[in-house]
Amino acid sequence: MIEAITENGERREMTINMGPQHPSTHGVLRLELVLDGEVITRVKPHIGYLHRCFEKYAEKMDDYAKVIPYTDRMDYVSAMNQEHGYVVAIERMLELEVPERVEYIRVIMAELQRIASHLLGIGAFGLDLGAFTPFLYLFTEREKILDIFEKASGARLLYNYMAVAGLMRDVHPEFKEEVSDFVKTFRPKIKELDDLLSYNQIFIKRTANIGVLPDKVALNYAASGPVLRGSGVKWDLRKNDPYSIYDRFEFEIPVGSGEMGTLGDCWDRYIVRVREMEQSLRIIEQAVDGMPDEGDVMAAIPKRIRPKEGELYARTESPRGELGYYIVSDKSASPFRVKARAPSFVHLSMLPAISSGALIADMVAIVGSIDIVLGEVDR
Amino acid sequence: MVSAFKNSWITFKSIFTGMGVTIRHFFGPSVTLQYPDERAVLPKDTRAKLYVNIDDCIGCNLCARACPVNCIDIETVVATSDVDLGKTSTGNPKRFWLTRFDIDMAKCMYCDLCVHPCPTFCIYMVPEYEYSEYDRTNLIYHFSNLEPAMVAEVKEKAEKEAAEKQRQREEMMRKKAEEAKIKQMEAKKKAEENNSGENDAQSSKPENGDP
Repeated sequence: MIEAITENGERREMTINMGPQHPSTHGVLRLELVLDGEVITRVKPHIGYLHRCFEKYAEKMDDYAKVIPYTDRMDYVSAMNQEHGYVVAIERMLELEVPERVEYIRVIMAELQRIASHLLGIGAFGLDLGAFTPFLYLFTEREKILDIFEKASGARLLYNYMAVAGLMRDVHPEFKEEVSDFVKTFRPKIKELDDLLSYNQIFIKRTANIGVLPDKVALNYAASGPVLRGSGVKWDLRKNDPYSIYDRFEFEIPVGSGEMGTLGDCWDRYIVRVREMEQSLRIIEQAVDGMPDEGDVMAAIPKRIRPKEGELYARTESPRGELGYYIVSDKSASPFRVKARAPSFVHLSMLPAISSGALIADMVAIVGSIDIVLGEVDR
Repeated sequence: MVSAFKNSWITFKSIFTGMGVTIRHFFGPSVTLQYPDERAVLPKDTRAKLYVNIDDCIGCNLCARACPVNCIDIETVVATSDVDLGKTSTGNPKRFWLTRFDIDMAKCMYCDLCVHPCPTFCIYMVPEYEYSEYDRTNLIYHFSNLEPAMVAEVKEKAEKEAAEKQRQREEMMRKKAEEAKIKQMEAKKKAEENNSGENDAQSSKPENGDP
C-alpha cells in the first residue's frame, strides 16, 4: 500500500512503521502509523523488543537483595531512583528503621539522578527536533553527575548502590563539596538552556499546541510525573505521599500552564522538566546542609531478608512518574511475586489518544515529550 | 502585518540569543578527552573487572552464592591431614585446595554483590577496563594457581583419605551396630529369663539367685 489515492480517485490509508531502528524512538519501539496523507489517523505502539523477564527473574533469585541490580536495568537512565523505590518497598515490608545519614545520601543521589535523567530526556527531545547543540551541552553537565556517582558507587550507569536499610558503600570524603560545587555551577546552565532551547521560537513552534493531553485524559490513563504535571495537575508523590524523608524539604511542584499554547502540550511537558531540575537543586542544597557527617551506612543492613507473609505496594516518584513495586512474600528467601508499575509503560499506552490528527513530523515531538525509556516499558 | 513583523523579530532575536550561548561555549575550555591518547583517571574503587587474590581465598563459596548471574565457578578439594595450607593474611585458616576458580567476565554484570560477603577481602573490583577479546572464551579468567598434575594428585589424595575415613567410619558403625545387637540380645535374653522366672518361679529360683 504505497499510493494514497487509487485509480478511481478514492482515498486510501497508508501504513508505515516508525522504528524499531528509528533514531528518535528512544530505544527499540515500533510505532505502526496509519496515515491519511501526512496526517496520522491511528497509532499502535508495538513493544517487547527489550523484554528481559525482570519479574520472573526476581522470583528466582533466592534473595531479595539480589533483585536490586535488576531494578537498575529497568530504567537505566535513572537507576538510582529505581533502586530507591525497591529498597523503600522492602524496608516497609520488614518495618526497618533506616539510619539518618543513609536517608540523606539516598535523597541526594535520587535528586542528582533526577537531574541527570531530565538532562538526557530534554537533550534527546531537542535532538529529535533538530537542536543538536543543547544535547551536547547538557551531556557535559550530566557527565559531572555521573562522575560523582562513579566516585561514590564505582559505576557510571548501573550503580547497585542502595541496599536494604543501608548503602553498599560509604560516600567519598569530598562528596558534600562536590555536590555543592555541582549545584553552584549547574544553576546558570539552566538559564543557558532557556536561552538556547526553551524560549527559542523554532522550538516553540515545533512543540506548542502539539500532542495536547487534557488533564482529564491524563488522569483517566493514570499518567503521573512530568506528563501529568504538564497537564496542570499538581501531583507529586514526594509531596502528596511522602516517602523516605521528603517531607522535611521545601520545594514546589512546577505545573504546566499553557504559556506558549494549549495546556498540556509538548512544550508544557518540556518546561515542567526544566523547572523540576531547579526544585531538585533546592532539595539537594537542603539535604547537603542537613546530612550528618558521622554514621555507618552499612551497619543496619540485615543479613537475611525474610519478610512476613503478605503483600505490599510501595510507590515512589521516579523522574518519569509513579514507580510502584507490588511485592508478595510467602516467607521464603525470594519474593513470591514482584510487579513493577512502570510509568513509561503507562505513558506509552497513552500515545494513541494524544497523537491522532498530528503530522508525522510531530510524532517525533510527542514521543520525545513523554520521555519513555524502553527498558522500563518492556522490563 | 504588524504581528508578522513582530513574530519575525522575536524569532530572529531568539536565534541570536542561542547563538550567543554557542559562541560563549566556543571560547570555553574543551571537555572532550581524546581517548586513545588521553585517558580519564578512574577512582581506585571503580567497578571494571573482578580480581581474586587467590592466596587469601579460603574456598568458602560465599561469592559464588551471592552472584545473581552465576558467573563464578569454584571447585574445592579438602586438604588432607598431612598438608598444612597455612593461613590467609587476615588470619583465617585455609582448609581447601582451590582446584578451580573461574570467573566469566562475559557474564558478569559488575554489581559488586560478590565483593561484600568475602570474609578475607580477597575478591574485589579493579579499575582495569581495556580487556576486550575476539573470542568469548578468553573472557573466562582462571584464578586457581594449581597445575593440572597437582590438581589430579590433590584430588587422588583427598579421595583416598575420604575413602579411608569412610572405611573407618563404616567399621566404627559396624562395631557399634554389633555391640548394640549383642546388648539387645542380652537384654532380650534377660527379659525372657525374667519372664520365664516369673512364670515358673519355683524351678528357676536357684539360677536367679546366682550373681
